[in-house]
Amino acid sequence: MATTTATVSISSSDLQPGNTLSINASSTIMQTGLTTGLELMDMGIGHLRQDSARDALAEATGTIDTTNWVYICNNATDDTFFIKVGIHETVIGNLGAGDWMWMPWNMGHADNEINIEAEPTGATIPYEYAIFKSTDTLPASDAA
Amino acid sequence: MATTTATLSVSSNVMSYPTVINKSMKMMKFQSCHGLEETSGLRTKKFTATAAAVVVEQDEFAATKAAKVYMRNTSSDKAHFFYVAKHASAAASGTAAVTLGRLHGGDWMLIPYLADVNITVASSSTDPVVLEYIVFGTSA
Repeated sequence: MATTTATVSISSSDLQPGNTLSINASSTIMQTGLTTGLELMDMGIGHLRQDSARDALAEATGTIDTTNWVYICNNATDDTFFIKVGIHETVIGNLGAGDWMWMPWNMGHADNEINIEAEPTGATIPYEYAIFKSTDTLPASDAA
Repeated sequence: MATTTATLSVSSNVMSYPTVINKSMKMMKFQSCHGLEETSGLRTKKFTATAAAVVVEQDEFAATKAAKVYMRNTSSDKAHFFYVAKHASAAASGTAAVTLGRLHGGDWMLIPYLADVNITVASSSTDPVVLEYIVFGTSA
């Protein structure tokens, strides 16, 4: 069984005056059956251009309402460059330069693709991603 | 200016060679080199019903900026999960278009948040399950 573990540490000594913030968490992510680790993954890097508008990073081609995890990082160094991240019509948020995200994705609907869009005008943004999945179905070939 | 740092480490043996992701970020204001200066503070909420509930209201922080939301299902039982959705009131369910995903026992997430719509959650169980969460952002 494959094992994937995700750990986070969030800290700040001056966000809450007189109260140091320190959050630590770790989780071994499992398939929806809860006892088997996720055994499929996609990962890659690319450059996202603003003039390409909204692009699908991953289609919801797995089983609906399952456990999947998405990591995306905006590797831009220009503070003004950000990536809009969404699931189909729902914009989740803006991923600023240097920011990463770690999000569950249940593919609750066949249209619920993960999409990304570079901003502002003229931006070309290097990014990297990894998607850990419970299931996946390859799209049918268009070949005759 | 406040400095808030978040560090991610993912290790996996899904592939035939080890996959390791290590990233650290400083939480900055929108299109800025200055750190986010406001937070909701760490909150905990116990759920004993499956009805969806709003945990983050959109008007707490400035919309379309650089807010971030951290959530963790504190249950030690993987079978107990929360649906997490971006929606005005409810509709956190397995097949709703606005549902992001499932947060099983022990799972955590850290996502950017547009603060344009509420964040709702729905527990899968009537057993007591505690969700912990915090929002980082700038004033609405």
